[in-house]
Amino acid sequence: MFNLNKSIHVVKYRVVWMCLSALLLIPGIIAMVYSMITYPTHSPVKVGIDYTGGTILQYGVSEAISNEDVAKTREGLSEIGVQNPYIQILNVNPTEENKNIKSIISIRTKFIDETSNEADDITAVVQKDYNGAELIQVSSVGATLGNELFKMSIIALALAIIGMIVYISFRFKLEYALAAILGLVHDVLFVVGIFSILGIFCDVQIDGLFLTAILTVIGFSINDTIVTFDRIRENLRYYGKKMSFGEIVDASVNQTLTRSINTSLTVFITLAALYFFGGVTTKDFVLAMMLGVLVGVYSSIFFCSMLVDMWEENKMKKAAQKAS
Amino acid sequence: MKNKLIMFWAIIAIVIACVITIYKVPTKLGLDLVGGSRIMLEARTTDSVRKITPEVMSRLKVAIDNRVNKLGVSETSVAQVGEKRLLVEIPNVTDLKEAEAFLGKTALLEFKQPVLDDNKQPKRDEKGLMIWESTGLTGEDLKSAAIGSDQTGQWTVSLEFNGNGANKFAELTQKLVGQQMAIFFDGEEISAPVIREAIFGGRAEISGGSSGFAYEEAEKMVNLLNAGALPVPSEIIQENTVGPTLGADSIEKSKFAGILGVGLVMLFMLLYYRLPGLIADLALVVYALILFALFKIIPVTLTLAGIAGFILSVGMAVDANILIFERTKEELRAGRNLFTAINSGFDRAFTSIFDSNMTTVLACVILYYLGTSVVKGFALTLAIGVIVSMFTAIAVTKNFMHLVFGTGELKYPALFGLKKDELGKAYEVTETKREKARFGVLD
Repeated sequence: MFNLNKSIHVVKYRVVWMCLSALLLIPGIIAMVYSMITYPTHSPVKVGIDYTGGTILQYGVSEAISNEDVAKTREGLSEIGVQNPYIQILNVNPTEENKNIKSIISIRTKFIDETSNEADDITAVVQKDYNGAELIQVSSVGATLGNELFKMSIIALALAIIGMIVYISFRFKLEYALAAILGLVHDVLFVVGIFSILGIFCDVQIDGLFLTAILTVIGFSINDTIVTFDRIRENLRYYGKKMSFGEIVDASVNQTLTRSINTSLTVFITLAALYFFGGVTTKDFVLAMMLGVLVGVYSSIFFCSMLVDMWEENKMKKAAQKAS
Repeated sequence: MKNKLIMFWAIIAIVIACVITIYKVPTKLGLDLVGGSRIMLEARTTDSVRKITPEVMSRLKVAIDNRVNKLGVSETSVAQVGEKRLLVEIPNVTDLKEAEAFLGKTALLEFKQPVLDDNKQPKRDEKGLMIWESTGLTGEDLKSAAIGSDQTGQWTVSLEFNGNGANKFAELTQKLVGQQMAIFFDGEEISAPVIREAIFGGRAEISGGSSGFAYEEAEKMVNLLNAGALPVPSEIIQENTVGPTLGADSIEKSKFAGILGVGLVMLFMLLYYRLPGLIADLALVVYALILFALFKIIPVTLTLAGIAGFILSVGMAVDANILIFERTKEELRAGRNLFTAINSGFDRAFTSIFDSNMTTVLACVILYYLGTSVVKGFALTLAIGVIVSMFTAIAVTKNFMHLVFGTGELKYPALFGLKKDELGKAYEVTETKREKARFGVLD
């Protein structure tokens, strides 16, 4: 019937895809559980100063500061192990007491003691880059994204997922909706898992942007999956009686394959450009989205289609048993 | 053909309008991208609040947050510093005086009743001014405030109480019939109307005395009341303009990288889909113009989260085009003529585009209403992006495709990136094959 190059067999190698998904997810899940037990915050990933708060160190500088200067300082700080600091330049109107200060460098990082070595190290880096820079203020600052805010976002997300289940069930079937949502959970778990591992081994901390990256991953995942499901729905309408459900799933996946790959590729190109040529401060954010796009293509082609096939076949078998 | 030309000129008109808007209206960028003003507030004790506790600070933080982030998408940031200070960062605000006036006010609204002497006459102090006492009805009982006007055309502030407040207000007005009741805003008496009859239903109106309110005055009051009262007054102790949190150095690089990325995507579309790819690229430019014009009109404060929503919606816009072209190619291979292939390519791709986009929009609506700042900004830009992308995919791409390819036969399949022998010949196609072709399946 279908004269296509059937390069991909979703149904036949079901076990392979299941194992592959397990392989993708299990290390991350272990890392998350480990993190939740060992971190004082009990979070599955290492959280940064947006969530924990930290310390602001402000240095007065007598000259104007250029972007290149800031980039250099950022590099210097990362060499001494200061991860993802917020470096901002404040323009100062000269007043009576500080005539010599033209600009202020404000460095926001994790909690450090004013008298500790770490503070001295940071001061050394700043003073190396700017002559006569002096530490004028050290203050601790609370979280900009509190627990409360995070909880509210998660609740909003949960309700959004319920909304999606209702919509997809209405347009397709409940099985499709659940498969799509499981695919989304699959993708999010993978990305969060990788960041959990990176947190343990490379001290990567997540910031306020991480939540946005996860939302983007969810958007991709759902979009991709629905396009594949749409094709299954369409083929089912015309070939449902002539072919088995498994055959239809395989054919649909292959028909939408070029599109799935091309779409993901275009987004991946943009993200790759941002990752390799973009600024340092957004690297982790872009990395999370890149991982999400990759795993999203995989899950919509293999994982979600496989689930729908499994459920539908089970249902048909049961119906057949009843009939006989 | 005539309709198509009208559509084409309509698209051109939209593009011109968008370009003008983008040129005229300034962009609102967030703290992470452009910076803004940084204000340090310090909480002050009052007679009723003698000690600044962590609890007072967290209430103050919420109240200040409500004030600076009125619509929820201004991307402001409020953080506690030390024991009794708040660090407030507002993007784009250059007028520090304005910010000062807004942040310093406590917005404490109080309804007071006269202190009565033994003869049930209001007591007065030495200057002959009436002495007021609290009624327990305050701004906390308020549901919302709005600007109104009375019969004489004076601006007023109309108040609506919540359930509890409405009961209290009804009780008070019942008790005070024939008496005056004073309204104090930030400790200042604003008006003291005489209660003629008990007021049920929980609605009240404040007039600005005999001279009335200036519109700005009423507006400021309404804003402050809706944002909620501060538990304690706060004073600005430091203010600066500040650079972007993501670092100007990083943003400069990312700007270049973003342009490079979009350029590569356009190149890919051109190489893979040939002439339709070029049309998709044009549609993408139209898409970006419409989107930016909308961002400026609404206005949306663009932050990195918003830009993530934007990237995702560009991805979906490209996806819509890819879906359509893949479908059109399938139809061509199945032996449909060019015009029908384009039309049915669109029709068939439409259900996928519609369902995936609607799921996204639905999720965005929920996220926008329930989410907080970062989530809100993302949801808003993504939802707008997805809706606009449906328009450009359906209206712009389709229109351009028909105008460019006309109704004739496809003479050069290479324009679609197809080989000549891949093309099915419509006139050779049998009835069954045509039927199958209609279902988009190859034999």
